[in-house]
Amino acid sequence: MTEVSLRQLTKQFGSFRAVDGISLEIGHGAFVSLLGPSGCGKTTTLKLIAGFEAVDGGAILFDGADVARLPAERRDIGMVFQNYALFPHLTVGGNLAFGLEMRKRPREEIARRTAEVLEMVQLQGLAGRYPRELSGGQQQRVALARALVIEPRILLLDEPLANLDAKLRDEMRFFIRDLQKRVGITTIYVTHDQSEALTMSDQVVVMFGGRIAQIGAPEDIYDRPASRAVADFVGRVNVIDARVTAAAAGGFQVATELGAFGLAGTAQPGQTLALALRPEAIGLTAGGDATVIAAAYSGGLVDYRVRTAQGRVLDVQAFPVPRFAVGDAVRLDVAAERLWPLA
Amino acid sequence: MKSVRAVVFNAYCWVVYGFLLAPIAVVVLASFNSGAFLTFPPQGLSLRWYYVFFDNEVFWRAIRTSLWVAAVATVISGAVGTAAAIFQVRYAGRGKEAVRMAMLAPLLLPEVLTAIALLFFVYGLGIGTKGMVGLLAGHLLVTLPFVFMNVAASLESFEPDWDLAARSLGAGRWARFRRVMLPMIKPGVIGGCLFAFIISFDTFTMSFLLKSVGTATLPIQLYDYLRTNFTPEAAAVSSFSVILTLVVVVVSEKLLGLKIRRF
Repeated sequence: MTEVSLRQLTKQFGSFRAVDGISLEIGHGAFVSLLGPSGCGKTTTLKLIAGFEAVDGGAILFDGADVARLPAERRDIGMVFQNYALFPHLTVGGNLAFGLEMRKRPREEIARRTAEVLEMVQLQGLAGRYPRELSGGQQQRVALARALVIEPRILLLDEPLANLDAKLRDEMRFFIRDLQKRVGITTIYVTHDQSEALTMSDQVVVMFGGRIAQIGAPEDIYDRPASRAVADFVGRVNVIDARVTAAAAGGFQVATELGAFGLAGTAQPGQTLALALRPEAIGLTAGGDATVIAAAYSGGLVDYRVRTAQGRVLDVQAFPVPRFAVGDAVRLDVAAERLWPLA
Repeated sequence: MKSVRAVVFNAYCWVVYGFLLAPIAVVVLASFNSGAFLTFPPQGLSLRWYYVFFDNEVFWRAIRTSLWVAAVATVISGAVGTAAAIFQVRYAGRGKEAVRMAMLAPLLLPEVLTAIALLFFVYGLGIGTKGMVGLLAGHLLVTLPFVFMNVAASLESFEPDWDLAARSLGAGRWARFRRVMLPMIKPGVIGGCLFAFIISFDTFTMSFLLKSVGTATLPIQLYDYLRTNFTPEAAAVSSFSVILTLVVVVVSEKLLGLKIRRF
């Protein structure tokens, strides 16, 4: 297990600063996701850690030793690529043996390790197949096995589920997370999919424009976003204007168009705030002064769009029972503890 | 039922193939002539002129020279052309198009001009045409573009991520080339080398201007011979050279396998 720390990491492509002073501490065996829209620098950060791109500034420490000047082939990393990058001219066994052969391991050890890892990814008996003879999910697991068989110091994954269909993607989330826990390897996972990041990670790092917007546990990122941009990117959010009416030790009162609420924290009376409110934190009951203007049924949940008496449009997510139709009058019940002031 | 279009297309294909192959067939048939002159159709069938050819040390020396030059030219253009193609596709960046044009330039210029320029060049350097250096340089110039083109084409389907994956697995530069890139561009390398061999074996102009006095490649010897003689021996030599080339192509295809991507 390896501790990774990034110190003021920068990378410039021409006049474009892809990575702009990133600092990050990743503990032994942690699973950390880099989450952000395309072009936010998450993949570049991963390539810097892997050694595929040269750093322009800053340090990359593995257990305290700077590896930023080390070529990729000597960093001892396992990498899983978005398109898997399996060697098409080698069998599954040949792909797995490749890294061990580069390390000049004896033949018996290579055979034993390869068999062990194949079993770990539940692909026993497929050692003789070529990558093109495997399904997408199987190729994905071979790619994971190839990265892990060399017992690397850290595991890097670059959007590994992007090419899989939805059902398989959900299975693979659990598979990868479970495997990572069993192996106990420090893992950095790049994705633009917020639900992947939230379900799999110990820590999520949200990135915008080459900088870190927020670092935190999935619950922090989702329920206590640091900014409106983070709140928007990680799931849907309603933003409500509020005015502080009274403040006391440990809490304050706000007035909003949805009513008055008591919140924890500190604020000055008279101050105006923007409050984040997730769609599922609003309950609907029949009869009220708000109107349903759109409803989309998606199986387990229904996504509503509701217009308040003041004309504000809110997203609401609720269970299908009771069910409301477009035009129905509804009352909004806000879970006060889910209101979160945005900076 | 076949449509008229398909029948016409089929006939067209046969005509094209006939046009391409008929001269070769004529030469081969003429080589079995029993008469004293190179004529077609042959006057009687015999292996007479093959016996004459097999006893003619002059032609054998020319064949050995041609094989030797073609082999050396193939090995060198195989290595240099492959390296150049890798550089062009993977590392040339903005200069990509310029490198490609430079590599293909020998194909675009008339071979006579290139040969004359090279002749001035080797004399300017003081090497002259005494040894094989000038001749080999000429042959390299005309064979290199074929290796380059073939390898560059096969490199287009090489995914950069394969190289990165190999790096992450601890493979250094040489191991990545030998174990990952080479197996995948193998069809291009072998195809290019076959072209190089055949082109070198067949080329006339370069050899004519750059050979040293007293040595001759097979095409030169044949040309020399035909200037003063007009016997079916020339056809026998030509047929033999056709068969030799075919053997080289078929054997290397069987041995090295153009289709299978495994070393």
